[in-house]
Amino acid sequence: MRFLKLHLTLVTFLYSAFCFAQSADSVRIEKKSSNLSLSYISSLIYPGARLGIEFPVNTIYITKISKSGKEKDFTKDRFVTANLSWYHHPAFHDNVYISAGWTMRRTKSHGFLTEFSPEIGLSRTFLGGTTYRVDDNGNVTIKRAAGYYYALVSVGGGIGYDFSKKKQKPFLLFSKFNLLMMFPYNSTIYLRPVVEIGLIYKPIDFLSLKVKSKSRTK
Amino acid sequence: MKHIIPFVFLFFVLTSCQKEKITIGTNVSETFYLDNNGASMRLLVEGNTSSHTFLLFVHGGPGSSSYFYNTDYISQNIENKYAVVYWDQRNAGGSQGNSNGDHLNLPQMTEDLKKVIQLIKYRYGQGSGIFILGHSFGGLLTASFMTTADNQSLVKGWIFADGSHNYPLNDTLTRKMLFTIGHEQIAKNKNTDKWIPIINYCNAHTGNFTFEESNQLYAYASDAETYFNKVKKINLATLMDYDPVQYGWPVTSILLNQNYSSNASFNRDLAITEFSSKLGVVITPTLLLYGKYDFVCPGGLEEDVFNRINTQDKKIAISPISGHNIMLQDEVFFCKEVNAFIESHQ
Repeated sequence: MRFLKLHLTLVTFLYSAFCFAQSADSVRIEKKSSNLSLSYISSLIYPGARLGIEFPVNTIYITKISKSGKEKDFTKDRFVTANLSWYHHPAFHDNVYISAGWTMRRTKSHGFLTEFSPEIGLSRTFLGGTTYRVDDNGNVTIKRAAGYYYALVSVGGGIGYDFSKKKQKPFLLFSKFNLLMMFPYNSTIYLRPVVEIGLIYKPIDFLSLKVKSKSRTK
Repeated sequence: MKHIIPFVFLFFVLTSCQKEKITIGTNVSETFYLDNNGASMRLLVEGNTSSHTFLLFVHGGPGSSSYFYNTDYISQNIENKYAVVYWDQRNAGGSQGNSNGDHLNLPQMTEDLKKVIQLIKYRYGQGSGIFILGHSFGGLLTASFMTTADNQSLVKGWIFADGSHNYPLNDTLTRKMLFTIGHEQIAKNKNTDKWIPIINYCNAHTGNFTFEESNQLYAYASDAETYFNKVKKINLATLMDYDPVQYGWPVTSILLNQNYSSNASFNRDLAITEFSSKLGVVITPTLLLYGKYDFVCPGGLEEDVFNRINTQDKKIAISPISGHNIMLQDEVFFCKEVNAFIESHQ
């Protein structure tokens, strides 16, 4: 039994040493520009728009070497985002919401990308019709700018293409599926699926920040 | 200053849909909201507002929606003559709010209904004639409304369609109908495998029903009408045939509101609520409609209302092919009876 324990410890140590030996990290600080995004958002047929900014946090350049010796390069970017969004659902409500998020983007060397972005925010709806109040004596008044504030959580994932990788154009196109959750909505939650199609502009120097970049070979 | 201008512009764009618009015409469609005690309730008025006669749907549930009644058939056969008001009660359909569950109770909803009627009269004229139609739980809500203070003076007629005004009596009648019809069906060797568990349940639960027993009877009653081929089946799929996208239904709001309200604690209070003992105060003309195959709110409820209200201007009509949703399952019969009732009392 004791021999088995020693054996397992040794195997674990040697395996992890082997794994670590396969990756080499180099860390540097680089100045990176923030990005601007503009997109059309839609829930079924109901239109909307979204404006955002992405602040870079870090970038990891990864090179993967397969057993056959073939190299695969891709980049993992992390951003803090701030967004202003709006959609219009006739006769139901207009919803304006601000959100802050954490975007994880993985871009292959030829430009294809995938991303995942959780967000939290605050929503203000405007009801889709004149809103009245009736007092106990039956007197009627109109309530101006009727609507509600809601806390908002959104999770989204999507795909896109970064034109700066191969074609040296400073933008990327993307399409995302987001699920909005607003609460407390009538003492429960409100869910809304939102499809987003947009463009992210990557200026050379706009609100540039010093971020940590890592290069890693696996 | 110039930074404020876009926000002012945005504010006006967002609130432009809230500008008051009141249309008197023959083919009107307009949505507005009533804000009352934590809820903003959606009201859709469609049809002929120039008739100054309004049929107000009080939907079932609690937590269902008036969107489901807005069918092409009703549009073509009632809205062409009168205006129809589709009201989503609090925590239902397209109605909105924050943490308002504490206000979800029958007295509050009765007050909401009164304010809905006052609002319709404010918008379309104090002389407007209003007929209220309670379906299912809407029967309980309209019974509460009609027996509270002098509310009934606000309406010209009360239509009670597959409604319930007395939940304990409802449970007793549902059990009795399941038991009787179940035995008949087994004797005819029809759907025996489905009726036997229902009969067994009825044998084991004979009265003084708990909330859980009441829910189980409701579940059996909902299924029972589907065992008859002549009864048109109504389920989520058939409702989705109405093309909710085209008509702008807030689908997730409808579903999540329904889930919340149908499970809300006030349903336990409703289970012991009855208005039979108060119906003697009702002197308003009343039309009572029910489907022969309605196990959820059996016809005995309409007969109880008929016998207790204090007016001679009352009628019961029975659809021979309908279950619990008479306005969807026997549209021709429903529209004919409703139109005739309104015509003679407007």
